[in-house]
Amino acid sequence: MDKISIPIGPHHPLLKEPLSMRIDIAGERVLGGTLRMGYVHRGIEKMTAQRTYVQDVHLIERICGICSHVHTTTFCLGVEKLLGIDVPPRAQYIRALMCELERVHSHLLWLGILSKHVGLETVFMHTWHDRELALDIMEGISGGRVSHAANQIGGVRFDLSPEQEVMVKENIGKLKAQVSGVLGVIENEPALRARTQGVAPVSADLIRDYCVVGPVARASGVDVDLRRDDPWPPYDQLDVNVITRPEGDAWARTLIRALETRESLRLCEVLLRQMPEGPVTVRAPRKVPEGEVVTRSEAPRGEVLYYLRSDGSDKPARLKVRTPTLAVLSLLPEQLSKIHVADIPVVLAGIDLCIACADR
Amino acid sequence: MNQIDTDALLEKIKAETGCQPEVYQDITDEDALCIPVENLEAVIGVLRKDFGCYHLSGITAQQRESQPGKIELIYHFWHGKGVSLLLRLPADDPKVASIIALLPGADFYEREAAEMYGITFTGREETPRLLLPDEWDQGPPFLKREASDG
Amino acid sequence: MFRGLFYLLIFPGLAFQVVCGLIFEWIDRKLLARFQRRIGPPWYQPVADLIKLFSKEDLVPLGSYDLVEVLLPLISLSAVLTAGLYIPIARFTPFSFEGDLIVIQFLMSVPTLAYYLAGIASVGIYSILGGGRSLLQYFSYEVPLLITISGPAVMAGSWSVAEISRSQLTMGPFIIFQPLGFILAVVGLIGKLKRDPLDIPSASSEVVGGSLTEFSGAKLGFWYLVMNVQAVVGIFLLVNLYMGWSNLTFPFAAILVFLVEFLLMVLILSTTSAVFARLRIDQLAGLGWRILVPLALTQLGFVILMGV
Repeated sequence: MDKISIPIGPHHPLLKEPLSMRIDIAGERVLGGTLRMGYVHRGIEKMTAQRTYVQDVHLIERICGICSHVHTTTFCLGVEKLLGIDVPPRAQYIRALMCELERVHSHLLWLGILSKHVGLETVFMHTWHDRELALDIMEGISGGRVSHAANQIGGVRFDLSPEQEVMVKENIGKLKAQVSGVLGVIENEPALRARTQGVAPVSADLIRDYCVVGPVARASGVDVDLRRDDPWPPYDQLDVNVITRPEGDAWARTLIRALETRESLRLCEVLLRQMPEGPVTVRAPRKVPEGEVVTRSEAPRGEVLYYLRSDGSDKPARLKVRTPTLAVLSLLPEQLSKIHVADIPVVLAGIDLCIACADR
Repeated sequence: MNQIDTDALLEKIKAETGCQPEVYQDITDEDALCIPVENLEAVIGVLRKDFGCYHLSGITAQQRESQPGKIELIYHFWHGKGVSLLLRLPADDPKVASIIALLPGADFYEREAAEMYGITFTGREETPRLLLPDEWDQGPPFLKREASDG
Repeated sequence: MFRGLFYLLIFPGLAFQVVCGLIFEWIDRKLLARFQRRIGPPWYQPVADLIKLFSKEDLVPLGSYDLVEVLLPLISLSAVLTAGLYIPIARFTPFSFEGDLIVIQFLMSVPTLAYYLAGIASVGIYSILGGGRSLLQYFSYEVPLLITISGPAVMAGSWSVAEISRSQLTMGPFIIFQPLGFILAVVGLIGKLKRDPLDIPSASSEVVGGSLTEFSGAKLGFWYLVMNVQAVVGIFLLVNLYMGWSNLTFPFAAILVFLVEFLLMVLILSTTSAVFARLRIDQLAGLGWRILVPLALTQLGFVILMGV
């Protein structure tokens, strides 16, 4: 059969953010593809060097529209390390609570997108309805649904009132019930299984070669989670269950993310239970002493890396951000061979693309 | 995960490659080695084979005010704890061997550094641009140049 | 003369079927929305959509066959409307003749073929992919569907839909004797209508809009109309083939029962599209030839044996 090349993107119903792929197909078989990004490259790494650290926190929040909080957390962790200040424990716990809520909302969003791609629009609507609960919690405590502006260098900008804690607990209880329903669908829905099981399986060796991180790596049996393996406070005081699956196919990735959502909700409850009293912020100087620091943390999509070099002024000399999507995307050309055209959405969804993150 | 013992790593690198890596101590709480450009592949080989450190988290390219005429590349590895490799390339002809044959995952990081800082990675196929537009003709956008260059 | 025109244009022809198509679309969308915890559109939404589409600019991509693109939805619409004329509406049938079931089957296939041609004629990559998929899908569902709906015909001893419907008055509704056949016919109908979960030719995440990617304005409006009228005609056909209720001879009850059956079919279609994920084309072909065809043959054999 003749080879034809179909363009996917920069605008395509499959993509929520601009990305361009050219996929070579013969009939319904995919032969391979090439990738092109940069449509939402905003030069944020460069822009941070022109702004003060205080301003940068807000700029960095805009790197990602889903996992905005974990980016600022990682950045603040780095700056605080250079400054040598200790963040009050209550602030650490609030940060972690937001991180986990963000993971819940990111994973639910993703589950919805996957179901939409396989034609299960009902599950898409239901998961996004549930995700709204997670957004409500975050809006209730921070005032922002997606950009929370929770972090500042030296702590967080708000405290949790007792009423808010009650609200968070209530909504988490509701979310738990909803997530078990979604889990039931993923485990039992035959058509969903037929569409995802055995699709584009990736071996653990390939994951290691391509330096893949996050749920995709864990779905191939690579047991790595920075919350446990390289914890930042307060995760060193928490007992994170890392979930892995040996299959490495699209279904394993789906299941992993659903199970991680449940685990995150459990962590939220633990965090609320153990939340210490005290201040939520300490004063941080404007100028950061000379030095370099590398911080890593576990975003919903995997390891995010920040490299920060300060030259002693109030502006960073170099900030490098490596987002998890970039690491996982490198696996895409490898996966886009020997699959069906109908599997392209499943493979793409399995990666959990966040193009704005990858482009910066 | 067992963390890497820096002294053992240094010894092993010396024995295997014959180069003299310097311990670089400016990075807070992290092991870093400043290695000669030509030994990059051999050092990564040692890291992978002898220490099981397979995870490259990213490649940072930067220019340092204290090192004029140099472009610096930092390879951020991770094995329970960060391990970084520092390379200094001459700014007028920044060239370094590509490591995608060893670590295919480095592909996008190398391409990003190549486009943003104009670094040439030798030994890999010419690829279309990843981030910059095809019609971009103003040189690497992140590279700081002398004022006379425009 | 006047009576003939009335049949053609008002009832059970053009006007009635278009209105039924729009009502079907609204109920379907509303039900789907309720399944998905949404509110759903108001009753006039399908009409509003149609008016809006008809008033939109018609964009034609360079190199496509404009005349063919205009003709295809019109031919499809006339084909499904003609098919609808031969199907009794609550026992009322002006044009019935022996063998009209086969004519209906043929006419109902016209939109699928037109859909394929539309993909080829509009020269887009997604259109060609979608068109090719629609033919593949056609070969997967059409054979089991044809075998299945010959079940009622064999049982009634006639190839006229009106006659099949009438014979159920004495024999009892065929859905009781051929439950498997009914399920297979519903699957076939979903495939014919390209509805979720068998919306493979128009799966938006894979081939954007399928054959209709390059269609816009009034032509797209006609295509949507074709889909809706086709759905209604298909539902009427299945209702007549499988759900003719006995002992209800006075006219009012027949209309009421017909209406209930129609709504029941819409409910079945909406539910299936809400709860099932889309199949892959190779999975559909496997399902069609490895499962549906043997099942349909079993059902037909059973019917023939029952007749003996």
